[in-house]
Amino acid sequence: MKGAWAWVLAIPPLAMALLFFVGPLVYLFWVSLHAGSQSELYGDALTVENYVAVVTDSFYLTIIRRTLGVAATILAVSLLIGYPVAYFVALQPPRRRMILLLMLLFPLMVSNVVRAYGWVAILGRRGVLNTSLRDLGLIDVPLDLLYSTEAVVVGLMTILLPYMVISIANTLAALDRRYEEAAQALGAGPVRTFLHVTLPLSTPGVASGMLLVFLLTLSAYVTITLLGGPRSKLLVSMVYDTVSAFQWPRAAALAFVLLALALLVTAVILAVLRPRRVQGAG
Amino acid sequence: MTMGTHLLGRTVRGTATVVAFVLIVVPILIVVVTAFSPLDYFEFPPRSLSLRWFVEFFRLENMRNAFTLSLELALLAATLATLLGTMGALFLARRRGWLAGLLQSLFLAPLVFPTIILGVALLLLYKTIGMPVFPGLLIAHCIIGLPYGFRTVLASAQALDPALEEAGQSLGAGPVRTLFLVTLPLIWQGVLSGWLFAFIVSFGELNAALFLTGPGLTTLPIEIFSYLQFQGSQLVIAAASTLQIALIVLMVAFIERIVGIGRLIRAR
Repeated sequence: MKGAWAWVLAIPPLAMALLFFVGPLVYLFWVSLHAGSQSELYGDALTVENYVAVVTDSFYLTIIRRTLGVAATILAVSLLIGYPVAYFVALQPPRRRMILLLMLLFPLMVSNVVRAYGWVAILGRRGVLNTSLRDLGLIDVPLDLLYSTEAVVVGLMTILLPYMVISIANTLAALDRRYEEAAQALGAGPVRTFLHVTLPLSTPGVASGMLLVFLLTLSAYVTITLLGGPRSKLLVSMVYDTVSAFQWPRAAALAFVLLALALLVTAVILAVLRPRRVQGAG
Repeated sequence: MTMGTHLLGRTVRGTATVVAFVLIVVPILIVVVTAFSPLDYFEFPPRSLSLRWFVEFFRLENMRNAFTLSLELALLAATLATLLGTMGALFLARRRGWLAGLLQSLFLAPLVFPTIILGVALLLLYKTIGMPVFPGLLIAHCIIGLPYGFRTVLASAQALDPALEEAGQSLGAGPVRTLFLVTLPLIWQGVLSGWLFAFIVSFGELNAALFLTGPGLTTLPIEIFSYLQFQGSQLVIAAASTLQIALIVLMVAFIERIVGIGRLIRAR
């Protein structure tokens, strides 16, 4: 589509994105720079006090630390389980690989609230795990498995694991097998070939898998609430609670702290893994 | 000996795959099986099967309304998102340069942007301008679906041989006729898979809807969430969840029939 009239095509999506995506974010940032107000959405005075409060208050700092801790654990475990699974998937013949990828893709289409409910049904006091253990005579009183940080980690990790597997499997499947053959022909054993050839060449998939899992962890309010309960709140729960309390400037600041965290960790993952290096750009 | 035949590597890969599939699939399976339980309380595996919780689901007005609202919302949001995405993709398909790159990033951004922040930002805007609930939700889901409509159409449009469009034009068709008689018939599979993806995403969406639903106007995922949060784990939730899953199964079967399942993987 060329020519000046082609801009007619561009205007509606552009207007939509500017009015209801970029615009509201700019407005939210503007509100985060204001004092709170009892009667209005936000007060008149310009201030950075909301940000100062978030990054100095020990309560918020505990929550931020817990958020990073949970996210790091989820990333580590999903990478540890996801990489070998992706390798397994990538080594299958095309038809079977497709079926496995579909089996991984399908759960991602099911609403996260349904998948979190599945974990509630497993971990609850009258859930599958407790009833099975009781029927086997291993416990007398049900274990409190739900409403803990561990439950959040297990639930979220498994909910997001398919993203990690699919990202890495797609990179591994597209990888030119001759690199590995060359390494082996030059005398490298399977472990060395993996560590020095396969693993570095798969960093684009690893990086995109990690980014997806991390960014979705930050936003997963419903899963965190259902599995973590009131004692395992993360940063996103603070955003929600503050909005519910109508403290708009504070909520806006918390949202941008969350966004800053997302950008920071994204930058770290990209700097460490340098996925573009593999694609021959830098 | 390649990595593929190395015994240790094979054992690790095989074990991890079994563990991963169990962890991913079992929670979903438990929900579906529980939905057919004849009892008032949770029992797994159930001793017999019944449809009473599905009957209960359609008897509860708020559940029924949430299901209908989610369906309407997903249909409209997917259509709007695909329409806008297709426009953006056709505009950008053959363009290079920083402006094209910027626009492409803008249309794809909602894919990775934390939707919870988008939800907060839109709620604040809606409160300021007094937006009613349904159009507000529709716009939010349209923004969230936009990257799906955009990306699949962009891939199809870029794979298109430009000579075909040029042929149309040199035979005297204007740009609009070329669009409808040449380009769209050639990329309709991309358009349709984009629409289906946007539908599925909207139908299960939680983070924006969490803020934007109102009293009496709730989507199915949010209704399930508030039931779980405030009324405990009643089995009607399992039935609601199973209906959510059933609709997704229907959509996937539809994709398979119309465009072939392979597209789904590539579209991701």
